[in-house]
Amino acid sequence: MIVCLAVVGHENNPLYIQSFTESDDALKLHHIVHCSLDVIDERVNNPKKSSPTINEAFLGLLYPTENYKVYGYLTNTKVKFILVTTDLDIRDADVRNVSLLFFRKFHAAYVDAVSNPFHIPGKKITSKTFRERVSSIVKSFGLSSAS
Amino acid sequence: MVREVSESCVESLLAEIVLSYCSGFYANKPELAARRIEAIGFQVGHQLSERYTMDRPRFTDNLDAIKFICKDFWSELFKKQIDNLKTNHRGTFVLQDNRFRWLAHMSVDPSVQASGNIQDPSAMAENKSAQATGMHLYFPCGIIRGALSNLGIECAVSADISNLPASLCLAFIILMPLLWLSQNLFSSISLQNADYAALLVQSIIF
Repeated sequence: MIVCLAVVGHENNPLYIQSFTESDDALKLHHIVHCSLDVIDERVNNPKKSSPTINEAFLGLLYPTENYKVYGYLTNTKVKFILVTTDLDIRDADVRNVSLLFFRKFHAAYVDAVSNPFHIPGKKITSKTFRERVSSIVKSFGLSSAS
Repeated sequence: MVREVSESCVESLLAEIVLSYCSGFYANKPELAARRIEAIGFQVGHQLSERYTMDRPRFTDNLDAIKFICKDFWSELFKKQIDNLKTNHRGTFVLQDNRFRWLAHMSVDPSVQASGNIQDPSAMAENKSAQATGMHLYFPCGIIRGALSNLGIECAVSADISNLPASLCLAFIILMPLLWLSQNLFSSISLQNADYAALLVQSIIF
């Protein structure tokens, strides 16, 4: 189940954070997102020579904590998408495809939100349409992974 | 969801932007009008580069990003690729487009060729028409600068029209320490228009 989604700009400034659980451990989720930024930087700056996907946008599993798994995606414009989920019993191969699809849709929604002429680059995304689109993407993925 | 707009509408809009900023809002201050138009182009380029880099793998270095601008970005905007790319390997790149689409329908003032015997008015007329077409170049310069800055490359962009019809030469320098810049500024880019020089210096310093 997807717990939290975050968009972080290229200077590590938060652009959008949304959590999908009812409990208010928002602070803990923010902290997890913040820590995963370090992992992303490490992955990008010291690529493992054997890794064939050195230039791919999808960074895969960043790091697992005791309850959550964190996935990352880095666009060409150095904007990072971070996804925190609690699905601990899905096989790795499936997860990769599902997350990739999810990030593609999320990227499309993000590009549309940023193309809004009233959006100021570098400031938080405040569009209601974006929020609704993201919620519907999350819902559709929640249903498909639950089945 | 791809929506399409008629090309003549886009050209009319661009011509109207230049007209209203140059003769309307900043009627006697062409430098301010130029900066405003370039700033609009910057935001457009910023947003367009997000959209057009969506499905591509990450760029390995600056040259890769510039090749993306020359090929994919240029063909999305102008339906063709750049004809010639030159670099001095020290941060200056010159892009040449032999038939710039947005200026392809722009006419040259014929009275310039007719009054060849009177020296001063024809020179003035030629300068005025060059200045008028020059105003239309600020928007594409802004777009390129916005796209490059979103890809992480801060630069200054200037454009030059030589032998019309519509052969455009776009040059940009990647921003380096100011000392190097001031030494190489006027030697590496041929600037025929004093306004461009002022704009370039302003955009570098601010």
